[in-house]
Amino acid sequence: MEQVIQFILSGLSQGGVYALVAIGFYMMWSATHAANFTHGDVFMLGAVSTVVFGEIGVPLILAMPLGIAVSAVAGALIERIAVRPFNHGPSSIGWMLTTIAIGLMLESALTATYGPLGRPLYSPFAQSPIRIGGSGIYAQELLIPAVAIGLMVLLELFYRHTILGRAMLAVAANPTAAGLMGINVSRIALIAYAMAGAVGALGGILLAPVSEASSSMGALIGLKAFVVAIVAGISNARGVVIVSLGYGILEKFIEGYISTAARNSIGFGILILLLLAFPNGIFGKREVSKV
Amino acid sequence: MADRKVVSLKAASAAALLASGLMLAGASVANAQKAEPCIGASLELTGPLAHTGKQIVMGAEVAIDEINAAGGVLGQKLKFLAYDDQGEPSRAVDNGRRIGEKDNCIVMIGGFRTPNAIALREPIADMGLPWVGVISAGTSVIEWDKGENKWMFRVSMKDRWVAPFLVDEALARSKDKKLALVYEATAWGQGAVPDVEAAAKAKGITLVGKETFNIADQDMSAQLIRLRDAGVDTIITYMVDREATQLLRSMERLGYKPTIISAWGISSQLGKTAGNLTDGILVAGTFAWNGNLSPRAQKVYEAMKAKYSLTSPNDILLPSGNANAYDAIYIIAEALKIAGAFDREKMVNAFYKVKYEGLTANFDPAFEKAAAGAKTERHDAIKPTQYRMLAFHENVLKPVEQTPYKR
Repeated sequence: MEQVIQFILSGLSQGGVYALVAIGFYMMWSATHAANFTHGDVFMLGAVSTVVFGEIGVPLILAMPLGIAVSAVAGALIERIAVRPFNHGPSSIGWMLTTIAIGLMLESALTATYGPLGRPLYSPFAQSPIRIGGSGIYAQELLIPAVAIGLMVLLELFYRHTILGRAMLAVAANPTAAGLMGINVSRIALIAYAMAGAVGALGGILLAPVSEASSSMGALIGLKAFVVAIVAGISNARGVVIVSLGYGILEKFIEGYISTAARNSIGFGILILLLLAFPNGIFGKREVSKV
Repeated sequence: MADRKVVSLKAASAAALLASGLMLAGASVANAQKAEPCIGASLELTGPLAHTGKQIVMGAEVAIDEINAAGGVLGQKLKFLAYDDQGEPSRAVDNGRRIGEKDNCIVMIGGFRTPNAIALREPIADMGLPWVGVISAGTSVIEWDKGENKWMFRVSMKDRWVAPFLVDEALARSKDKKLALVYEATAWGQGAVPDVEAAAKAKGITLVGKETFNIADQDMSAQLIRLRDAGVDTIITYMVDREATQLLRSMERLGYKPTIISAWGISSQLGKTAGNLTDGILVAGTFAWNGNLSPRAQKVYEAMKAKYSLTSPNDILLPSGNANAYDAIYIIAEALKIAGAFDREKMVNAFYKVKYEGLTANFDPAFEKAAAGAKTERHDAIKPTQYRMLAFHENVLKPVEQTPYKR
C-alpha cells in the first residue's frame, strides 16, 4: 500500500508539471491552430530567470514574477517572429521548423551563458518531506498539481466570463469571422502565446526547488506535454489536465511494477494506442469545417 | 675517352640523384619525428558538459605556466592548444588530426568522454601521436581488444579497477553485506554492471539489487522502494550530479538512508544542489582540493584561484580530473626531458622511465612495459592502490580521512 501511495503522490507531481506545460500548448493551439514546439524551453526559461534574478539579489517574491514575465515576453516574441510569419492556414508547417530552431538557439545560448549545470532554487516547501508511513512527498510537489488544477478552473472562468477570454474562444472557433466582428485576431494570438509562456514559467519555477533549474530541464518535458496534450484532445483544457495527471501516475506505476528503463517506451506506446483509439484525442471533439 | 667521360658523368649524376634522394628521405623521416613543443587537447568546451573541459584546461594551464616559468622543457616553452569537440566523437577525431598533423604537437591529452577516446584510437595509432587521457575511464581506451596499444596512456582512474575498489569499500561499511547497484542508462553506467558483479562475486557475494534510471529523471522512489524492501544497506552508484540530487531527494522522501558509495561521476557541484543531503556520501577519486592540502597543492590552488578567479576550492568541480590534468602535464614534461628531443617515439619510450611525485600519486615509474609473458603494458599511471575515497561533509567534498566518515 505504501508503494501505491508513493506512486500516486509522485505521479501527481510529475503529471502536474506536464499539465502546466500542456495547458500552454492548449492556449496556443486554441488561438492560432499552431504552437511553439519548444514550449518546454520557455518553461525552462522561467525557472532559470528566477534563479538568476535570485542570485543577483532580487528577493524570491519578486524574482518569481520577473521570471514569469521573462517567459511571457519570450512567448510573445516567438509568436511574432517564429509562428505568425509562417502560419498561413491549415497546411502551413513552417512554424514547426522555426519554433524548434528558436528552442535550440535558446537552449544553446543559455548553456553558454548560464552554464550547463543545474542550480538550486530555494522554496520553504521543499526543505523536508511530508511522510505518510513509508512514503513521502515534499509540499512543493503537491503544490504543482494543485496549481495545475486551479489554473484549469481559472482558465475556464476566464474563457467564459471575460471579454478577452470570449474573444479568444471566438478566434479559436473561426478567426476570419472573429476578425470581421472587430476582434483583433493578431493581438489575441500574441496574448495567448504570452499567457502560455507565463503558465509554462510557473511550472518551471514550481519544479526547480525539487529538481534544479538547468538549461536542459525543458526539452523532454515539453515533448511529453505536447504528446499528452494531443492524446487528451488539445482543444479541451480540462482533458489536457486530467490526461497529464493520469500520465504522470501511469509513468510511476510502470517504473514501480514493470521497468524503470522501459518507462518512456511503454508510456509512449500506450499514448500511441490511445491516439489510435481516439483520433481526436480522448476529450477532443471532431473538428468540422464547412467547405 | 669521350664515351668514358659521358659514362662517368652519367654515373656521377645517378650517384648524386641517389644521394640527394636518400638525403631527402632522411630529412623527411627526421621531420616526421620532430614535433612542436605544443600539447594539444580535444575537450568539451561547449555543450552540456562544458565544465569538464574547463576543469582540464585549468589544471593543464597552471602546470604549463609553472614549467615555463622554470625555463620550459629542453630550452623551449610549452604551448597548450585546446580545441572544442562538444562531446562528439567525430569532432574529437577531427581535432586529433589537427593536433597531430597540422599543429604537429608532441602529444595530445584527452577529455571527459570515453566514446571520444575510443574513436581516437585508430587515428592516434595512424599518426603515431602520443595521447594521455586525464578523465575518460573506459577500460577499452587503454586495453584494446585488437592490436597493440602503443600510443595511448592515461593519468586517471580505470573502470575495471574502480569496481573492485567500490565493492571493497561498500563491504567494509555494510552491516548486513546487502549491496546494490544503481546506475545510469548510458554506456558508462551499463558498462559498469559486469565489472561490479564480477568484483562482488570475487568477494563471494551477489548483488541484492540492480536498478537503473534514465538521464534527467526527477524521481527515483520506485527503485529505492525495491531496494529498501530487499534490505539493502549500501548502494554503489554510477551517476552524475543531476541524477544524484534526485536520488538523495527520493531517499529523503522515503526516509531511507543507505550508505551511498559512488564512482566519480559525482562532483563538488552536488554539495551546491543537494546541500545537507550530501553529508556522508562517499565518492571514489584521485584528489580533493578541499580539506588540508600539502604546501605544493596549496600553491597550485592559489595559482588557479588567481588565474581563474575562483572563490573557493568548491569552484573546482572535478577535483580529480583537474589534478589528473596537472600531473599528466608534468609526466609529459619529465618524459620529454628523458627523451632529450621533441620526438614522439622517444617520448613514448621515455614514459616508462618517468619518476615523478605528483598531486594525485607518486609515479614510480609512471608507466610500465609488459613483464615477461604479460599481455599488456601498464599504461594507466594511477594504480588502484592509489585511488582515494572522498566524502561530502558540510556540503564539500574532502578526503574521507578528514571527515567523520572515515572507516
